[in-house]
Order: sequence, then structure tokens, then C-alpha cells
Amino acid sequence: MAINLSNSNVATRENRIGSITGYVGTLKDLATQSECGTLKGCSRCFSQSSTCLSSCALGQLCGIRDVALIHHGPAGCSVAAAGAYYMSKVMSKKRGVTSNTIYVGTDMNENDTIFGSTNALRNVILEVNKRYSPKAIFVSSSCATGIIGEDIDSIVDEVRDEVGVPIVAVHCEGFKSRIWATGFDISDHAVLQSIVQPPREGVKTNKINFKNFFESARPEIIEMFKKFDLDPVFLYCNSTVEELSHISESLATTCICGTLGNYLGNALEEKYGVPYVRSINQCGIVGFEAWLREIGKVTGRSEPIEKYIEEQRAIYLPQIEEVKKKLQGKTAVLGMGPGYTFEVSRVLNELGIKVVWALAWHYDKKYENGDVPPSMKYLLDNDIDFEASVADQQNYEVMNVLHKYQPDMYLSRHPGSTVWAIKNGTPAIYVADEYMIFGYKHTLEFAKTIVDAIENRSFEENLAKRTKLPYTDWWYQQNVDKFLEETK
Amino acid sequence: MSEIMENPKGGCVLAGINSVLGAIERVCPIYHSGPGCCMQTSASDQGQSGHKSSCFVSSVSIPSSNMLEKEVVFGGTNKLRTTIQGAIDIIDADAYFVLTGCTAGIIGDDIASITNEFSEKGIPVYPIETPGFTGDSNLGYETVWNTFLDKVIDKNVPKDDKLVNIFGIIPYHDPFWSGTLEEIDRILSRLGLRVNTFFTKGQGIEDVKKSSAAALNIIVNPWLFKGPAAKYESKFGVPSLRIPGLFVGATDTTRFVRKVAETLNLDKDLVESVIASEEKYVYHYLEQSIGVLSWKRFAVVADANNAIGFTRYLANDYSFTPVLVIVSEPIFRPEDKERIIKEITDLEYARPPKVLFLTDQYEINKAIREEEQEITLLVGSSNDREIALEKDIQFILGSFPMSERLIFNRTYAGYRGSLTFTEDIYDNN
Repeated sequence: MAINLSNSNVATRENRIGSITGYVGTLKDLATQSECGTLKGCSRCFSQSSTCLSSCALGQLCGIRDVALIHHGPAGCSVAAAGAYYMSKVMSKKRGVTSNTIYVGTDMNENDTIFGSTNALRNVILEVNKRYSPKAIFVSSSCATGIIGEDIDSIVDEVRDEVGVPIVAVHCEGFKSRIWATGFDISDHAVLQSIVQPPREGVKTNKINFKNFFESARPEIIEMFKKFDLDPVFLYCNSTVEELSHISESLATTCICGTLGNYLGNALEEKYGVPYVRSINQCGIVGFEAWLREIGKVTGRSEPIEKYIEEQRAIYLPQIEEVKKKLQGKTAVLGMGPGYTFEVSRVLNELGIKVVWALAWHYDKKYENGDVPPSMKYLLDNDIDFEASVADQQNYEVMNVLHKYQPDMYLSRHPGSTVWAIKNGTPAIYVADEYMIFGYKHTLEFAKTIVDAIENRSFEENLAKRTKLPYTDWWYQQNVDKFLEETK
Repeated sequence: MSEIMENPKGGCVLAGINSVLGAIERVCPIYHSGPGCCMQTSASDQGQSGHKSSCFVSSVSIPSSNMLEKEVVFGGTNKLRTTIQGAIDIIDADAYFVLTGCTAGIIGDDIASITNEFSEKGIPVYPIETPGFTGDSNLGYETVWNTFLDKVIDKNVPKDDKLVNIFGIIPYHDPFWSGTLEEIDRILSRLGLRVNTFFTKGQGIEDVKKSSAAALNIIVNPWLFKGPAAKYESKFGVPSLRIPGLFVGATDTTRFVRKVAETLNLDKDLVESVIASEEKYVYHYLEQSIGVLSWKRFAVVADANNAIGFTRYLANDYSFTPVLVIVSEPIFRPEDKERIIKEITDLEYARPPKVLFLTDQYEINKAIREEEQEITLLVGSSNDREIALEKDIQFILGSFPMSERLIFNRTYAGYRGSLTFTEDIYDNN
């Protein structure tokens, strides 16, 4: 991948790495086709709501402490403000630090869409700088500003000297990509462009960049890494601008979710030679061990890591084996981003649960370095196969699958999706926290959570008896790929 | 005009439209917009208003044309046509409404020509051609009703002199909407009226269609619904009574009951007996807990409707002292502002509070921070908790946006709601 930090625009995942959102088939077919380059995604002539890439991009940036986000667009686009407020106040409080990150909208109206509002934007930027004295400023576009051609880059260039802190345009036109994860790349690009500095000469460090969402497992990861003489720098929730400016000096970059960390990891490697840890992720036993060993290899710390693995196995494996007995032969459908779908499928397999259908909200044929995603490679190498589809959260396809297979459980990382499974009477496990299946301890807890969810189905069954779903009988009789068509 | 708005409250026009359609049984919105508009607008209202989401379809199950660059360049009407057809095939709804996102609005897609293709075949598909950028959730509420008035409501429905329509409470935007409508319904039903709330008790598009039969529209809001009310009158001969602010507590609720009774010429004995029993119910409880709540000097940050209700109850019925009232939704017409100020300051017992109209959180915080008079209670939204903590003021979460409470049928409105409000002030909710 060639990362171009002189331009504030990032190519979409579709264009950059051939990502798709429409496919129905099997895992093996999907992987084989991506390996030999014949995979061509489909589009849909009927679709349900997807998600805006701006919420991924700005959701990430607002986790950084003491920065300002200016969302140039109609008031409705600025809804991420609520999440931003929560991130800066609650997440910082939880960690015992303070953040004065601020999120403002520009409340663009009909007149602005006709006459433009670049002058007003300039004033907003200057006023925000004066009011809040942020450590960095991100100025985001929206669909409306994108279509009328508002030149945010020029405004940002014009005021740069006057504001005196890093400032960068963040291009978040929602129509740009069907893949909301493109927003993660956009936020990484903005951070790389405006904040990250080249490594200082002579600085020696034991830091390792750890890209995650909400750092809920922070204390235990710090504790674990201490054993290996590694000091994790969690990104971007509660990061400071100062910390971010030095991530180019770290020993390596790793992440909790390949979809989330891929762009930053590859860019830091390409630009500054910081190795990016490429392995299956930390979910489950196999994943956790493969990940730790890869870190050992990249940072030269294999010995203490092997010792740690041995100790932990002795504690947890017998307990996990015990819980597994209750899960043998249970069936599951799952719907998640690709950074989790094929990882969690592997864990379910480890626990003895049969995946009957896996939906990925999108699929990256190749990662930035050109390889097939490691999670896919693992499943293929181990001869694990199941029916699979790629759908940008299309609920009608999920419901069709659930109706046909009536699985013992549905797992999703998106709360709106679990809601509909529960209405269908299917026990649903909301894999909300990114550390829910992290390592030995959380894999054990995850297995216990599944047992709890499928053993007591009172709410799901009672609710389903009394609720009427909106879908027609006709739809339940159709094949899942009914509305897919070849991309023109 | 573009201006700074820290922590904007609520969404665009589409958010209001989605909220209203979502509260009517078996109605399916179809977004003709970018891929994220439905989730953004669901998050802005339903996501911040007490954690309820619409039942029939919501967020991920709502059809959307998910316009991409191709549609921006070549137009999105073909994608819209297949999206509508798919929605009809897979979702068993009584009516479908097409919403217009900013993208479709700016590039000028002719939505009505596409919906006509379906309505000509007798399929109830209606266009709502007001793009997102034209305003906020409040405008969205009015926009839906204008669409209903133009395209949905039947003309020749026999009049029903006991039927009333309730307007002014926006579902999924006002956190207490369900409970408030249920309390209004309960009170008016006791007066022998049949009540269209449209959003509770499983009411659907048929009730909307037949709403022209009503004897009266009752608008419980100091400023909303001016345009649609005029249209109801001119097109269907349904007059409107504006109740210029939510009624909380015995005094204002009785004032509301008398106004409705007077306008509809209801049986005086029945009305007075209902008022007497309701007031007795409220005061019988208040009497059992005298002195439990300490006396407060209070401030309110809320939309105009709730700001009026909270202020008037606490000042007029509960002997608290009003200090500062901030109306935090955008109000544009000067006459509306005057009406709101009048309701907040025209108090029988207390001296009038200072009234400000501010939507920018920075300005709201500044006003509370710099208030010279002591404040010991703040009733506000989730965004206002921080300044209450900073000033060490007791805080009650009572207005939109409300992200830290689950609200089913709770309300502060009416006779019974005022008791809940009082309980919450004691419980520190």
C-alpha cells in the first residue's frame, strides 16, 4: 500500500483493497475466490439502512483528549456529539484522567447549501480555538458540504498559522463508501497527517502501540505486558496529542480488531518502520497464543511469552474444558464486522459450537499489505467451512437466515442487530466489549455467558410469542441472495 | 447560517419524520439518502430520549436506498424504485413513506414521480420531499403532518363531536411522550371524549386518515404545529385549541381541562366532578408527605413545552423559587418567544425567573455558571449534568437529550405525572 500523507483524502476500502459488501456462498468459496483474485462483490437492488462512515471516523477521533471536532454539516450529522461527550467525560473519568474534548456542529441550513458557507466555517474554527484552546482541531465534512464542493482543505490551510495547533480536514462524506469501516481509515489518516511526528533521534523505548476501542482491559494488559518488558500505548480512547505524536517510535503496533487497526499499523510500518503485528486476533485460546507468539517474534521477547503461556494454560484450560461440555453441538449464526466474524467463528469452533451461517458486514479481500486476512487463512488451513455471506448489516438477510436455521444463538457486535434476533425468539449475545473474548480468562467468561444466554430463554420466547415481525411470509421463503445483483 | 453549536441536540428533519412514523403502527419509512442517514437520525432522537426504539421497524430494519457516489453523479431514482419495490415485497406495512436525505435533495431527484408509479397501482407509497438540511426534529414533526394533510387524511368522514386529536408532543423526541399522551388520554376519556393520540394504544394510519372527523385539535405546545393547524381548519374544518405549554400539576391541568370543556361545551357537572376527584387524588398524596422535600431555588433547561410545565408546577404549585429558565430548542418566530416568556413569567405566586433562549451548550453552561442568584436545583438534560456537578447543584434529569434513564410510560405531565416529578426530586433522579 502506498500511503499518501500529503493529501487529506483517503481512498475508500472498495477502491484501495477491493472490499465488498455483497456475497452469498460458503467460507471456502469466499476465501478461494479472494486468493485467486476472482471475487467480485454484488450490489443490492433492495437494501436496508447501513451506517455512516463519519460515526466511525469521528467516534475514533473524539476519544483523543483535549481536541476539538468541528462537524461542518446540517445539525443531524452532528449526532456523534452525544457519543463524543460521553467518551470525553465518562471514559476519561473511568481511567482517572480528564478530557476537555469538544464536539461542535456548524448547523448548516438551506441557504448554506446554495451559497456555501466557507467564511462562516473560518469564523467557527477561530472561535472554537479561542473558546476551548484545543490541542488539535479536526474539521469534518458531510454529504451536503461534499456535494456543494465546500473547500474545507483551503480553509484549514488558511487558518493553520493563526490557530497554532495541529489542524486537519477530515473527509467524511457518507456517500463515499458503503463500508463504514472506511471511517477508521479516515481517522487514522487524519492523525498520521496532522499529529504523528517522525521518531526523535536516539529515543529508546519499550512501548508498543495497541489500537483498540474503549480500553476496558487496560489494567490487565499493562500487567501482562510488564512481564515481557513492554509498555502498551492504547489508541485513541484517552490518548493525548503528545502521546500520539510519538507513536512512530514504538517497537511495534498491534490491534484488537484488524478492521480497526489495519490502516494505522501498515502506515506506521511503511512510513516509519514500526513493525505491524500480523496474526489472527486475541479471541480464544488459539488466537491469543498465536498473537502473543507473534509479538514475541517481532519484539524479540519469545522466552518470557512462552513461560506466560504455559502458566496460564495450567490455570484456565481445565476450566474451559469443563464449560465446553455444555456447549457441544449447539448451533450459532453470527453477524459482525469482518474483523470479528471470522475470528469469533474460530472461537466458537474451539468451544465445540457449530457455526451454521456467518455474516460479515463487509469483507476485505486483501489487507493493505496484499495478504488474505489471517483469520480467513486460519479457517481454511484447518478445514473449517460453513455458509457465509457478506451484507452491510442487512437485517432482512439476517432474519431470513435465523428463520431458516433456528440456531441456538445469534452473536453480533451491533446492538440493533441483536434486537431483531431477540424479537425472533433467538437468544442473542451482544459481543459489545472488544475484550469480551480476549485471552484465557475472557474466553472462559465468554463460554459461561453463552451457557447463561442459551439456558434461560424466558425473555426471548415470551417476547416472540407476543410480537409480530414486519417481514412477509414471501420473504422467508426466498433465498438469501434474492436481491443481490452483479455490480454494474 | 452556519454557527457554532456545542453538543447539538436532536437531529435533522429526517429524525423528526422517522420518530413520528415509527410511533404509528405498521407504517414503514423508506430513506432515500446516504447509507448512514437512518442510523444517524435514529441515534439522534430515539437514541437519546429514554432508550425506546420504534417497534414495527427501526434502525437496521428500515429500508434505505443507501445512495453512493454513483447515485450522486447519475441520480438515484432507479435505486429508489427498486428499494420501494423491495420494501413492499418484504415488509408487510399499511403505508410507506419516502424520506429525502440531503444528497437526494441537493441533486434534485424527482421522488414524487417514482412514488406515483406505485400509488397509481393502489399501493400506499407517499413522498416526503423535505430534505434533512432544512431544519430540525421539530420541523420533521410538522412535515409529517403536512404530508398527512396533503396526501393521507380522508376528506369525507362523518364528524364525531366527541373525537379530539392531540398534537404538540413529539414521539421519541420528548422523553416522556408515551406517558404524557397516556395521561392526557386518561383525563380526556374521563370527560367522555374519544382521543386520537396517534402514537399510543396501537393507533395506525387508519386513525390518521379519519382524524378529519374530530371536533377539535388540541395542541399541547406553546409554538409547534401552527402551519398544520391552519391546514386542518381550512381543508377539513377542524378547529384548534392551543394549550400554550405542558401542564404539570393540579393547577395547570385543571386549567387545561376547563379550556377543553369550555371549547367543546361539555357537561359542567361531569367536568367539575372529574376535576374534583383528580385534584383530591393529587393532594391526598401531597398531604401525606408534607415537608419531605426541602425548599429549592431552581433553574430549568428544556424545550419550551417542558420548560413551561416544570417551571409553572414548581413555582405555582410547590412553592419553589424560580431563578433561571433556559429554552434549549431553536425558536425562530418572535411571537412564539413572547408566548413562551409569558407562560414562564406569568406566575400567580412566584416572582418571574430570568428566561433565556440558548441552543449552544457553551452558552448554556456559561449562563448557569455566571448566574448570580443561588440555584439549588437544576432540571435539565444529560448535557446539563456537568454544570450542575461543577456548581454542586441538585440535578434532575428531565429533558431531552436523556441518555441515562430508561423511560417506558413515566411522565411528569398532568395530575398523576406531577406526583412522579415530585418523587423524582426527592429520589434525585
